[in-house]
Amino acid sequence: MNRKPFIFLAIATLFFNSVAQAQRIKGSDTLLPLTQELAEEYLAEHPEAEIIVTGGGSGVGIAALMENTTDIAMASRSIKFGEKMKFAEEGLKAVEVTVAYDALAVVVHPSNPVSRLTREQLEAIFRGKITNWKEVGGEDRKIVVYSRETSSGTYEFFKESVLENKNYMSSILSMPATGAIIQSVRQTKGAIGYIGLAYLNRYVKALAVSYDGGVHYAEPSVENAVNGSYPIVRPLYYYYDSGKEAEVSPFISYVISPKGQESVLSQGFVPVTEEETRR
Amino acid sequence: MRRIFEKAVKWLLTASGFVTSIVILLIIGFLFTEGAGLFKEKVIEEGYVLALNRENNVKELTAAQIKAIFDEDVTNWKEFGGPDMRIEPFRLEDADKLFTEEELGGQYENAGSLIASLIEAHPGMVAFVPESMIPKGANLNFIEDRSISPKEVFAGSEWFPTATPAPLFGMWPLLAGTLWVSLFAILFALPFGISIAVYMSEVASERVRGFLKPVIELLNGIPSVVYGFFGLIVIVPLLQQVFGLPVGESGLAGSIVLAIMALPTIVTVAEDAMRSCPRSLREASLALGATQWQTVYRVVIPSSMSGIASGVVLGIGRAVGETMAVLMVTGNAAAVPSSILEPLRTIPATIAAELGEAPAGGAHYQSLFLLGVILFFITFFINLCVEYISSRNKAKNS
Amino acid sequence: MAIETFPKGYGARKRRSQKTAFGIFRGLSLFIVLVLFAILGFIIYRGAGVIDWTFLTEAPSDGMTSGGIFPAIIGTLLLMAGSAIVAFPVGIMSGIYMNEYASKSGWAVKFIRLMTNNLSGVPSIVFGLFGMALFVKYLGFGDSILAGSLTLGLLSLPLVIRTTEEALKDIPAGIREGSLALGASKLQTIWKVVLPMGMPRIITGLILSLGRVSGETAPILFTCAAYFFPQLPSSIFDQCMALPYHLYVISTSGTDIEAQQPIAYGTALVLIIIVLVINLLAGVLRKYFENRLKLK
Repeated sequence: MNRKPFIFLAIATLFFNSVAQAQRIKGSDTLLPLTQELAEEYLAEHPEAEIIVTGGGSGVGIAALMENTTDIAMASRSIKFGEKMKFAEEGLKAVEVTVAYDALAVVVHPSNPVSRLTREQLEAIFRGKITNWKEVGGEDRKIVVYSRETSSGTYEFFKESVLENKNYMSSILSMPATGAIIQSVRQTKGAIGYIGLAYLNRYVKALAVSYDGGVHYAEPSVENAVNGSYPIVRPLYYYYDSGKEAEVSPFISYVISPKGQESVLSQGFVPVTEEETRR
Repeated sequence: MRRIFEKAVKWLLTASGFVTSIVILLIIGFLFTEGAGLFKEKVIEEGYVLALNRENNVKELTAAQIKAIFDEDVTNWKEFGGPDMRIEPFRLEDADKLFTEEELGGQYENAGSLIASLIEAHPGMVAFVPESMIPKGANLNFIEDRSISPKEVFAGSEWFPTATPAPLFGMWPLLAGTLWVSLFAILFALPFGISIAVYMSEVASERVRGFLKPVIELLNGIPSVVYGFFGLIVIVPLLQQVFGLPVGESGLAGSIVLAIMALPTIVTVAEDAMRSCPRSLREASLALGATQWQTVYRVVIPSSMSGIASGVVLGIGRAVGETMAVLMVTGNAAAVPSSILEPLRTIPATIAAELGEAPAGGAHYQSLFLLGVILFFITFFINLCVEYISSRNKAKNS
Repeated sequence: MAIETFPKGYGARKRRSQKTAFGIFRGLSLFIVLVLFAILGFIIYRGAGVIDWTFLTEAPSDGMTSGGIFPAIIGTLLLMAGSAIVAFPVGIMSGIYMNEYASKSGWAVKFIRLMTNNLSGVPSIVFGLFGMALFVKYLGFGDSILAGSLTLGLLSLPLVIRTTEEALKDIPAGIREGSLALGASKLQTIWKVVLPMGMPRIITGLILSLGRVSGETAPILFTCAAYFFPQLPSSIFDQCMALPYHLYVISTSGTDIEAQQPIAYGTALVLIIIVLVINLLAGVLRKYFENRLKLK
């Protein structure tokens, strides 16, 4: 009979532990590898801390922030009007921190002779108006267009920047994650897709892009993103509720510290300067 | 005391007997309440309006028309019954290009009146702006917003759940993709399934059967994500090379993976049916001088037809609902497929890929629950078919 | 009745057509065996070199390109245990009710069986949606082991019910009657006689249902799975990593696909080993109990 108190105790411990919960970070898949790396480093310095990093997407992260199922939301787009209104209804205030910049590289199969495109050409390709590589100076080959899933922050930013808010064609291939795009572009001769600069590797070829009708082309690289000559660059954010400032600030200050930003750079993202982090 | 205890246990057991029924009801309830909310949502994104010049008499636009306007695919108002004017779409983001920061004000407090006067100056303009920004009493026309109609959703052929100003929730391409890939999966799996079932129940020795049975069970046990991984790494590049396809991620890759996954279901159910074919029937046939093969296809297969049919239908059910493997290999292009060699998008893959990104409670989120409802009812219907087939069979046998 | 006269050589043709047909069946069966071995062989070939002690006992490191999958293994085991706690008692009780209490031809049995069959046909992604709506959102458990276990438990419930029911169905009525005639109550009969006899087959079914749970991804996608959580979960309200989800994210996302691929193969192999072990265990148990019953 004396096993009962023990079981009770065990259950009580389970519930008690849940009060001192780990710090939960959730959201954008673009920020996932970076945040994972940063969390790893942070945990090495603070072994007593606990961090859980979960993907799901920017939308999930922000929704989870509202429901208090995460402490920090990672987002590769800024918070939407509707989401902001919902925050206000709940009496919460979302604080935005820019943690890094991400350049989007347009990639093709390494054997593709095309090495640069203008924004207008890219728009036509992703909207299905240009369907053969020979129309942009390449081989006679069908263009296979890869995109991210419809609501990822990457998808929306590319649409905003390159397509000027017009919609992609409906027969575009959507991949659940950036890794899958690389995998597919690498295997498919006529492929074109877009990926974060951090993901760029030798198996795919990045194109130079021009935003001024073909006068200046810029290669995607960290330097070109920093000096502003590469046009497809977006900020990446952390959001948290202002009421949780104390809990989340140690990790966030590590992220935006020079040491954290060094990892940002080494992961292939563009670092932010101190004054850029909070608006 | 004892009696009360026995009664209590009986009630407890009865209650747990009905747990599955309760779960089904809960699934229907929760999916429905979320999914049905889609039809209460407005066509135009929440909190925004489409403002027009006073001279423009267009009152209503469908979501597809709004998309065509903002994609600049349609450039004249007369196509939508308006005056013969060029359409000038305007988004809030364009404000930065047309006005300086000083004009707009630090907190964008002047933006509303600037935009209002901009629209008044351009007769062909349609502006997509937050409702709260438009100054009261502005001399403008607005597109009347209505709720999303079931027709647009179920018969619509465009799936753009995140398009602005008006998302499109046409589910037809997803439904077609799901059915298309499942159909081919069953076509591939059927000859194999029947052959293996016949082989195992009629031809193979006990030892061979003892070897094949665990193989089939193992095929059934391999997690779908492992099949997806294998498909992505091996089958997709293989198909691309063998058939010289422009894209490897295709309905074909999906249906091959699904065929392997649906196979165990077909084999198990069909084999059970054939083995339970009465011995007397077989013996009668053999006694009449028929060979074993003649007995199989003239007697055993016809008499166990309903079991085979159940197996096939269950296999379809398995294929329709499969998520991860399909998500990884079919390319997920939301267009109505015209051949199996093209990429396509299924309902389960759409839910798995998009639910994560959809803002909770919004129209997109609800549309995914509605897809869940559709999927649930497809499999529900499939199960009723199986139930019907086997009950008819029972009636016939008794 | 017309008596058919067979043309000459009919017997030979008959035999030939039988030979061809059976040959085709044998060939297709062999082909599927080869497919299975190709899948297994490929993953074992690529994954075997990856699996070592560190891979099994360490957390992922260096941006998921090295280290191991320990938290994912533990997470999957936790989810299996959690789903067992949810599904086994309810499922077994439900099976007992169906076979021992409800009248065989009554509406209740028909209705419950219909519902159970329907539930077993519900796609796993629908369970995911449902789990997210009910456990994560409505009941407020958040993404947690609790929500994931409940969702997976409901998913495996029909399998548990069916195996229990079938195990009990095969126990001869005479044994129950014997016990009742000796003055035992119905409950005592079930507890002391029927259940112990049915246990071997019930256990086999339970093990197989655990196998199914271990490989499911879609239901935990929105209810539980974490991308990176190197420590072990400390309560049932924590999220956890899980093997199938880990394989999914590692083969589709991540900055360095090339460096992650070995880990993906290793993870796939561990998953397959779990499935293999479970199937083997179920098979061995089945044989063992069968032999013991025969001896009796």
